[in-house]
Amino acid sequence: MGLIQKIVTWARIKSPWVIHFNTGACNACDIEVIDALTPRYDLERFGVQLKGSPRHADVMVVSGPVTRQSRDRLKRIYDQLAEPKFVVAVGTCACSGGVFQGCYNVEGGIDQAIPVHAYIPGCAARPEAIIDGVVKLLSSLDPKPVAAPPAEPVEKEAASA
Amino acid sequence: MAIFNILVFPGILFLVAAGLWFEFVDRRMYARMQNRQGPPWFQPLADFIKLLAKETIIPEDANPRLFAAMPVLALTATICAFFYIPLWNTTALFSFQGDAIVVMYLLTIPTMTFFLAGWYSTSLYSTLGAVRSLTQLFAYEIPLFMAVLAPAMLANDWSLAGITKFYAAHPLLALLNLPAFCVAMVTLLGKLEKVPFDIPEAETEIVAGAFTEYAGRHLALFRLAIDIEVIVAGSLVAAIFLPFGLTLPWWLGIIIYLLKITLVVALIAIMRTIMARLRIEQMVNFCWKFLAPAALAQLMINLVVKGFLQP
Repeated sequence: MGLIQKIVTWARIKSPWVIHFNTGACNACDIEVIDALTPRYDLERFGVQLKGSPRHADVMVVSGPVTRQSRDRLKRIYDQLAEPKFVVAVGTCACSGGVFQGCYNVEGGIDQAIPVHAYIPGCAARPEAIIDGVVKLLSSLDPKPVAAPPAEPVEKEAASA
Repeated sequence: MAIFNILVFPGILFLVAAGLWFEFVDRRMYARMQNRQGPPWFQPLADFIKLLAKETIIPEDANPRLFAAMPVLALTATICAFFYIPLWNTTALFSFQGDAIVVMYLLTIPTMTFFLAGWYSTSLYSTLGAVRSLTQLFAYEIPLFMAVLAPAMLANDWSLAGITKFYAAHPLLALLNLPAFCVAMVTLLGKLEKVPFDIPEAETEIVAGAFTEYAGRHLALFRLAIDIEVIVAGSLVAAIFLPFGLTLPWWLGIIIYLLKITLVVALIAIMRTIMARLRIEQMVNFCWKFLAPAALAQLMINLVVKGFLQP
């Protein structure tokens, strides 16, 4: 890998701009995505910015199962993203269709319509899970082996009444 | 030596570095005022490299040559304007009588390129953003011109180097221009399309305004042009309204110059934190009802003072 390619990969990892698209979710995952972008979690530390235009974005964060109504729109938005582009499916519905699986109007998970790079399950997926998923997706761009996560801290939580 | 001055210092390389650095300063101050950490120092550089390496998309209906030329034109115009502004002493790289007006016109060109870029993208959001940025131009341009040229009238000199020379010799007269300084700062927010006047690129209403269809390399150049425009506008304000410490040794002068730019960027960041976006007609009303009369009053004051000063 040449020096320029290394620099470009570094820049790509350090500056993921996201666009958020709801294909028919119940809004819970959307609230969690918005939550992850608020000052409390401060995703700008990692260079994450929410962009309005699909032309500007690198990562497409999709929530909800693909309905027949939204499939064409989803594909169009995906085609409007500039290469290299990544898709993150947030929530159980986006991963597999969830509880809506088999509905007359639901196609299934996001991967029924467009290629997906990262699945983040959860109903709704927690902001920490979303951040973790995006970080794992980005670190997979780097050919270096990913450092093993630190061992689980042993917490003694007092049972709250 | 001239080539070195144009290409490296205080030319293009310095401008790019300063533009990226002060974008970081702006974003960091904004983050700290929101009680969060904010981006690391290399963030604007990483954004820039990433955008350079991305795919470049030109919409089918757009005029491909104009679409690609607009970011380059915006960047060129802002860099050209920089060469006529005195930075840490009272001489500019190039200077002639009337360059104050030329710099103002060069600073108008980026806004025109935003308009043309949006218009030739032919997408609905781009067109809306383009029209808004032109509407906004009519509101802030005249108060800004009056505010910048009122000090020139008092100095009886139409070159920026001459104006700074005059005010460096008479620092007390520079205090007289305080209303014009306030008017210039507010109108510059409009020119740089910063909050509360970021109406042309209002992301919650019209996606990204004129830049909606821009991707990859073109967008990177547009962002760089906007970053550099902040530096140029800050230098202009510093040269005309804050002509202090210009006769000091060069290293001290450069430090004071960078502090002045930091002051301007800090004012922009504070405005961005405490204000929300105005509607376009509120903005036009505000500019014509309050800023234009204030700038006119400054012109009157300077005329009267000039009458007393001349024997």
